[in-house]
Amino acid sequence: MAARVLLIDDDQDFRVSVRSLLETRGYEVLEADSGHEGLRQVLEHKPDVILLDVMMETSVEGYGVTHALRYGEEYAEHRHIPIFLISSIEESPDERFPMSAEVEMIRPDGYFTKPLDIPRFLEVLEKAVS
Amino acid sequence: MTEAAAPDTIVVIDDDYAMRLSCSKILSKMGLRVEAFENGARGLEGVAELKPGLVVVDLKMPGISGLEVISRVHEIDPQIIMVVITGYATIDTAVEAMKCGAYDFLPKPFSPDELRMIINRGLDRRRLALASQRGEVERALLKRRFVTFVSHQLRTPLVAIHQYLDVLKHLDQTKDDPARRQEWIDRCLKRTEELQKLITDWLTLARVEGGTLIKERVEVDLKPIISGILTSYEEMAAAEQVSLEAVWPEDALCVWGDRNCVNVLFDNLITNAIKYNKPGGKVTVTGCLSSGEAAIAVADTGVGIPEQYRPFLFDEFFRIKGEGVKRTEGSGLGLHISKQIVSEMGGSIEVESQAGIGSTFRVRLPAWCAPAEDTEMGGWE
Repeated sequence: MAARVLLIDDDQDFRVSVRSLLETRGYEVLEADSGHEGLRQVLEHKPDVILLDVMMETSVEGYGVTHALRYGEEYAEHRHIPIFLISSIEESPDERFPMSAEVEMIRPDGYFTKPLDIPRFLEVLEKAVS
Repeated sequence: MTEAAAPDTIVVIDDDYAMRLSCSKILSKMGLRVEAFENGARGLEGVAELKPGLVVVDLKMPGISGLEVISRVHEIDPQIIMVVITGYATIDTAVEAMKCGAYDFLPKPFSPDELRMIINRGLDRRRLALASQRGEVERALLKRRFVTFVSHQLRTPLVAIHQYLDVLKHLDQTKDDPARRQEWIDRCLKRTEELQKLITDWLTLARVEGGTLIKERVEVDLKPIISGILTSYEEMAAAEQVSLEAVWPEDALCVWGDRNCVNVLFDNLITNAIKYNKPGGKVTVTGCLSSGEAAIAVADTGVGIPEQYRPFLFDEFFRIKGEGVKRTEGSGLGLHISKQIVSEMGGSIEVESQAGIGSTFRVRLPAWCAPAEDTEMGGWE
């Protein structure tokens, strides 16, 4: 059965291109354009892996979503789903993933920077779902 | 800030007991907190501990000299105001002290009023210095925020474009889908246009800050300009299923202003009215002349602007965000620039909005009137 990837990102163009890439590699892709929508889809579609943009212009940002998934009561049975954070590459290394204390607390399974390094992205994703 | 709430602390350093006592009395009565010390060494310890706003120091003391106290206090905190007390015989030293960083000097003997006056002046000076220092910190923060914001805004479309191109490169060429490829190229073009617009807006912002948007003050007829803008957005409006309409008087609607700025102003208002509308909605531009002003209203039938956001609507980079808010592209500068244009042209802009019904932006600009004939000039002779 095809592994199911939930892509939470508020940039539609980014979702369109990544969806095509993943679909040609045999993944089933779910999309969400906001944190709230992403959380709803987790409950409804039980994805195998979550890709999450941490810098969305919506009220529930990436960190909030991850926090809810890791600690929220209603998501208890989905706590095992691997989460990968995605962010743009920032100028200085220490700004690459801001709020590092929060990142530590939510223990993401990995990070990707935008634009994606496609070979590495596919390799890491494959490992995560196998 | 706590500094404003707590009373200012004054440190008095003087080897003369009577002087310490009288200074303490006068300054305490002013509501200040006073600590007095009999020599430079003790005084410096006191300064380090109490962090006073102002220090009164006698120049002629045994042990550490007044001059040395000044420079050592400023090593602790360069913002501390130093007032020196000096006898008539040592005016030259007092001048020397000012060169070392003392704020002012008080020749002995002095009256309580003279002391009060100099202390008040010194404290005012300190408040100003602190305020301007805070201003600098705020400006630095703002600049930092601006850099972060701008790089994020620039990067988002660039990442989208890059990702399209890179995925195209990695997709299996034998399964090439020409329709998809064409669609992605179109999206890439759209996002590059977005980048161009962002850069144009930022450049305009730089001019806003210099207050130099207006380059001319000439007669500008609003009707052909606004009609032109409406025509150019017909396609965009059709795509959003929004209809465009203008309601004019038959005569020209002329204002004093800058043609290019007028164009930017109504372009911003009309594109907003289309973007923040809903399918089946309408954008109506009305205009009329009344009591020396041209009043133009750009009304949409969109979701309206929630009341709590209205005070910030014209702020730079302000954009309404959140769940359920239509996501649109833009720099967050359109209305800020529009407001600036209107005010440079001597007009006003305001917004009315009702949830679920729509928003109306009302612009008032000084109407153009033909310059008076020169016939009266003859009377000046």
